Amino acid sequence: MAKIKLELVNLSKEFGKLTAVDDVNIAIEESETMALLGPSGCGKSTILNMIVGLEAPTSGDILIDGKSVLDVPPGERNIGLVFQDYAVFTHMTVRNNLAYGLKIRKLAQPEIEREIAKVAEFLSITHQLDRKPDELGASELQRVAIGRTLVTSPEILLLDEPLSNLEAAMRNQMRRELRRIQADTGQTIIYVTHDQIEALSLAHRIAVMDFGSLQQYDTAHNVYQYPKNRFVGSFLGNPPMNFLKGKLSESGGRRAVTSGDSTIPLPAGNLGSDVSAGSDVVVGVRPESLSLASADDPGSFSVPILAIEPQGPETVVTATFGDSSLKVIVPTGTEATEGDSIALVPKSDLVALFDAESGVRLLDSGDRR
Amino acid sequence: MSEPVLELRSISKNFGDNQALKDVSLTVPHGSLIVLLGPAGAGKTTTLRIIAGLEAPSSGEVFIEGHDFTQHQPNQRDIAMIFDNLALYPNKNGFDNIAAPLRIAKTPKAEIHDRVMEMAKLMKISHILDRTPGTFSGGERQRVALGRAMIRQPRFYLLDEPLSSLDFMLRIDLRSELKRLQQESGRTFLFATPDYTEALALADTVCVLIEGEVRQIAKAQELYDEPVDRDVARFVGNPPINIVLARLTRENGSASLKIGSMDMKLPDHMEHSLPSNITDVEIGIRPEHIRMVGSDTAETHLTGVVNDMEPLGMHTTVGVNLGGVDLFFTVPGVQEFTDGDKVEMHVDMESILFFDPKTGRRLT
Repeated sequence: MAKIKLELVNLSKEFGKLTAVDDVNIAIEESETMALLGPSGCGKSTILNMIVGLEAPTSGDILIDGKSVLDVPPGERNIGLVFQDYAVFTHMTVRNNLAYGLKIRKLAQPEIEREIAKVAEFLSITHQLDRKPDELGASELQRVAIGRTLVTSPEILLLDEPLSNLEAAMRNQMRRELRRIQADTGQTIIYVTHDQIEALSLAHRIAVMDFGSLQQYDTAHNVYQYPKNRFVGSFLGNPPMNFLKGKLSESGGRRAVTSGDSTIPLPAGNLGSDVSAGSDVVVGVRPESLSLASADDPGSFSVPILAIEPQGPETVVTATFGDSSLKVIVPTGTEATEGDSIALVPKSDLVALFDAESGVRLLDSGDRR
Repeated sequence: MSEPVLELRSISKNFGDNQALKDVSLTVPHGSLIVLLGPAGAGKTTTLRIIAGLEAPSSGEVFIEGHDFTQHQPNQRDIAMIFDNLALYPNKNGFDNIAAPLRIAKTPKAEIHDRVMEMAKLMKISHILDRTPGTFSGGERQRVALGRAMIRQPRFYLLDEPLSSLDFMLRIDLRSELKRLQQESGRTFLFATPDYTEALALADTVCVLIEGEVRQIAKAQELYDEPVDRDVARFVGNPPINIVLARLTRENGSASLKIGSMDMKLPDHMEHSLPSNITDVEIGIRPEHIRMVGSDTAETHLTGVVNDMEPLGMHTTVGVNLGGVDLFFTVPGVQEFTDGDKVEMHVDMESILFFDPKTGRRLT
């Protein structure tokens, strides 16, 4: 186990009656990227502000390298912060923007120049060192903002929605560069975003937040494939995970979930064994975890097709399962007609079962973690 | 077929030396949802402003319901324009915010009530009508703002990236509701966005605007399969299409493509459809048309070295270098790769697009 760089311990923050952050525990290893993911208002900015020192927690602790930093003023925590809207000095050249933090730290001029050259090369802005920010495009400005922070070698780099102001193509490219920068520098990064794509693409681990509480903290892969509750399943993935409401039934040792005319057989194993037949449950299955089958294939089920939407290489087929709707991804060009039914078979290890009321995941089909 | 509600005829617009729009023509039928798709700076907002009458074209005409409105004032055009940041009245509650345009139009009180309630139901904001905007979430604010914009029934609606400041999930949600609203009410939308996936999700027809020119007007799927040029091909699809220089060599009636240091045989019928005088081409390969094969495969294949990997949940995008040329391809699900891994890939030759390296136009 690598060294823990930052630890949030039972961290809570209340604003009057509102609990913005509710008893959050997260440990971040050195040299990894952790994404704080959630909708607006989920508490991610409040957590960020507490790490930086702009807000004091109501209770709990924040440890950097094992030591509490609650009594350390913001300026002395050595945390680099980059925002969505690049905050660079518009009257200074790129070079002077990069030099600023080093001058404050009273580094010698030759050393400043060496560090600037290194960071500028890293971020591919060497040719723009003598330009002013108003001559630069959005992605270059964001590089300068990141460079200005990176040059001071912070213990932790906090990136708060850094790509939100960029266009899709530029976001793709910046994601690639951020991955490279992180891999090459070994910088510990906390990446705050509401965009699941950025979290999946950049983070080793993802902390999913909702209403101030931590829903799941795990590797990007596990958060995506094995969500702990319905919220996590719905927040990652596009189209999102399907949630099929129904009643659990059991016959001849095989379990299934039924709603109206539709029945989805559950994979063999102990999935659903902790609830009794007749219970209300929700089956969670991602659109890409369903494959086309033939109606007489074992383990398959058929549902009526509602709509067919080609989306480039893939086509999204929307079907109905009792009262729920169901989306499945098929290759564009697959024969399917609205009104007909489609036979599907789920990938057995990627079917989840949630409690209908609490949304909490029920027993897994195997002990995979 | 009914008369188009809007028709742009050869609109050009110059700002000083900068030609923002070049000969833009577009027809918008009644009850349609047309997406104006293009990168920042393509001229989308300028086009909408000219339609709304906020900007005069340098040449060309704006026809609305068959009449020339080019010289008409904005308030004579009866068009709604909806932006990304719609301000709400902070001291009015949800109901009064939505009702405001009807009150200005002196609509009878009973009718105001009915129409606001109907709109609130449609936008799923019935439960917040008696609250003030200070208590709204981001999504609720935008729903109320859209409801207020939609309560009037002008000739058509111009929407300028109305969802771009919203969270990802909210954006997807509101996108499908706007589409439903449009379909159920038969209103006409011209919707500007730089986001291809938004265009896919929304549009009947997409008009691609790049560098002030209409490059292609087509169904979203057609833009993907049959882009007219390199710019359109690059702009639609994510991860973007690979565009690489290749050399076409013909020998003894069969042709092959040289990419980097690799050769690939070209199917005969594709060779025949390419101009015979051409040797240097740019080829476009979509990431999903490259798949990994075993090194013992009998199929023709390329060998590359992994230099990037991006897990995206449903897919993983893998970057490879093939002797000087970088390519990206997608594999399903989450798969682990390490920089330096050697991979063998098969390219679906039938799906390759050919472009003229000088003009960028599609060759086949």
